[in-house]
Amino acid sequence: MAKVHELEIKNKYTGEIIGTVPADTPETVNDKIKKVHKNQHLLREMDFFERAQVLSKFATKLRFKKAQLKDLVVAEGGLPIKYSEWELGIVMTGFKFCDWYHQFIEDKPLTGIEGEQNATIKYIPHGLSACISPRNTPISLPLYQMGANYLVGNGAIVKPSTACPLTMLEAYSTMKDMDFPGLDALNLVIAPGEWAVDEFLKSHLIKIIMTVTSSHTAKDILVRYGRLLKKTADRSMGVAMYTQPFKQFFFECAGNDAGIVMDDVNLEHVAKWNAMASYTNSGQQCFSMKRIIVHQDIYDEYTECLIKEMEKLKYGDPTDPTVDIGPLGSRRILMMMEVMVADAKEYGVKIYTGGEKIDTGEDYGLFYTPTLVEIKPDLCEDLSKAPFLWREEAFGPVRSITKAKDMKDAIRLANASNYGMRAVVYTSNLDNIEVFKDQLEAANIYVNARPMLVDITVSLGGIKDSAYPAGCKYYPQELVYGKYIYDGTPLNLEKIK
Amino acid sequence: MLEEELTSQIIDKEAYKTEIAKKYTTFLAQYPEIFSDLILASNFDFALYNSIETYDKESPVDIFNVLRNGNGIEIKPGRAINSDLELALSVSAVKKLIQTKTKVEYANLLGTFYNDPDEEKGWIDFVLHKRTQVLIDMGYGKFAQTAGILKDDDDIYSM
Repeated sequence: MAKVHELEIKNKYTGEIIGTVPADTPETVNDKIKKVHKNQHLLREMDFFERAQVLSKFATKLRFKKAQLKDLVVAEGGLPIKYSEWELGIVMTGFKFCDWYHQFIEDKPLTGIEGEQNATIKYIPHGLSACISPRNTPISLPLYQMGANYLVGNGAIVKPSTACPLTMLEAYSTMKDMDFPGLDALNLVIAPGEWAVDEFLKSHLIKIIMTVTSSHTAKDILVRYGRLLKKTADRSMGVAMYTQPFKQFFFECAGNDAGIVMDDVNLEHVAKWNAMASYTNSGQQCFSMKRIIVHQDIYDEYTECLIKEMEKLKYGDPTDPTVDIGPLGSRRILMMMEVMVADAKEYGVKIYTGGEKIDTGEDYGLFYTPTLVEIKPDLCEDLSKAPFLWREEAFGPVRSITKAKDMKDAIRLANASNYGMRAVVYTSNLDNIEVFKDQLEAANIYVNARPMLVDITVSLGGIKDSAYPAGCKYYPQELVYGKYIYDGTPLNLEKIK
Repeated sequence: MLEEELTSQIIDKEAYKTEIAKKYTTFLAQYPEIFSDLILASNFDFALYNSIETYDKESPVDIFNVLRNGNGIEIKPGRAINSDLELALSVSAVKKLIQTKTKVEYANLLGTFYNDPDEEKGWIDFVLHKRTQVLIDMGYGKFAQTAGILKDDDDIYSM
């Protein structure tokens, strides 16, 4: 038997080791896959509403543990404690009211031309799902992945980030303590993505691969899948016949959201929201407002307002309830911010504020100051030649600001991106609002909305390189397939007897 | 247009098992407007529990029902047959809630007991008996906000 390897989990601010967890090996991962697959029937023996009720009770248990969970989220994730409240709040509310998602998967009776209802679409769970979640959300996304699968009746193996698995392990242990029905159909895998993904891809038992990751990592998963398919090609009939079955892939990827500020809004108020939308969790959010596009008539005044709001942001110890910006999740992010700012400087851009790092020389306590970089509109004309900061996701506290001539120009700039998760617009012109809704290229459009919206209707998803498949989405809806059933019995029973 | 003033009616006061439930119903009767967002005929149970264990076992020490009727609210002892939901409260929470002096103070404390529950200091929870969408349509989402249970966006995350 392979020796059990242990992972040390560090506090992202102090570097203190806050937990040690046994890591999975390829053997234990496959054992878990088999066990979850074998027990998947436990979920199918309950109906949707029974499973929803279990999740609702679980939400209550989590709420009672909130203080403990918040401490874990802050320590291992480096998220400021005030943000951890939001992180936990969204998942607890989502689980408490999860029966709301039934509307996406309830049977759809179809009415034929003659008014008869012989056809129905039923929604069937795909089967065992392997879920890979990112480092920036220690609990909300991995638990949402697990909960959504449970809700529709899919077994699930969830792999939280090895940088911050403790919160999910605590949540899973809470499930055990409450005798969570069907828990044997859910499990966690603590293993690095480098090889865990290959195990998931290879397993015939896994039907779905769902990840929240960068677009490039998602594409790399497809490349690996392609290589795997190639290895399984049987050419005995003269053509390549691939024995590896199809899998369903659901990728939630990067965002490079545009946020448009028009000349007809209260600048102080919007700037306050903008600071929150752009720099919450040190900007380590896929849906963060990353490319700020401002009408030329208010550009200078607005930039001044935004800088004032940015200067109010406090960074430091994430356990301090007044701190807005916690440490970065990894040295790689710090490097990425430095590279993006250095690259932008090559284009002669103006750095309004920020651009400084705090580097402990270790893999903890790393900060990059909230940064605002002016990118001139002409630099965005040819996407392939635009600064990295414009064309790639800045997964840290560096944001660009760009001047737009008018609404049409603002829309053009917003759409000049390979990504399309969200687009945000602030305007009081009611006629223009409809144009923005219609012409902005993103799967989720937010008009005059408060950032960090907590609402059960908020969807995930994206277009272009932000998600696969494209579109706004709710996980439960993605985890089932439609089965068309035509039942001609009422019409034909007597004839065929 | 003037809003119609809502009234409260407490039925069969002597039928409550506990003093705390009697006091709580008298207290709630002061604020029928808390229930104004609910549609007519909506009703829910208030169940009082001594501990989390008794809540898990569904053994309340006392229970009463609040019905939104044409005039305001009607409070009566016992569980309703078809209640929309159950609002579960620890006795320790109720003891503190009935000490509050204003509706706003009451709502804030109720919100704290929901959002930061504590076995000793007090907690509340709710169990839905109907689908979330149905309850939203009946006005419970708005009610939960007025009553301080669900926070407004601005409260959830403010920088």
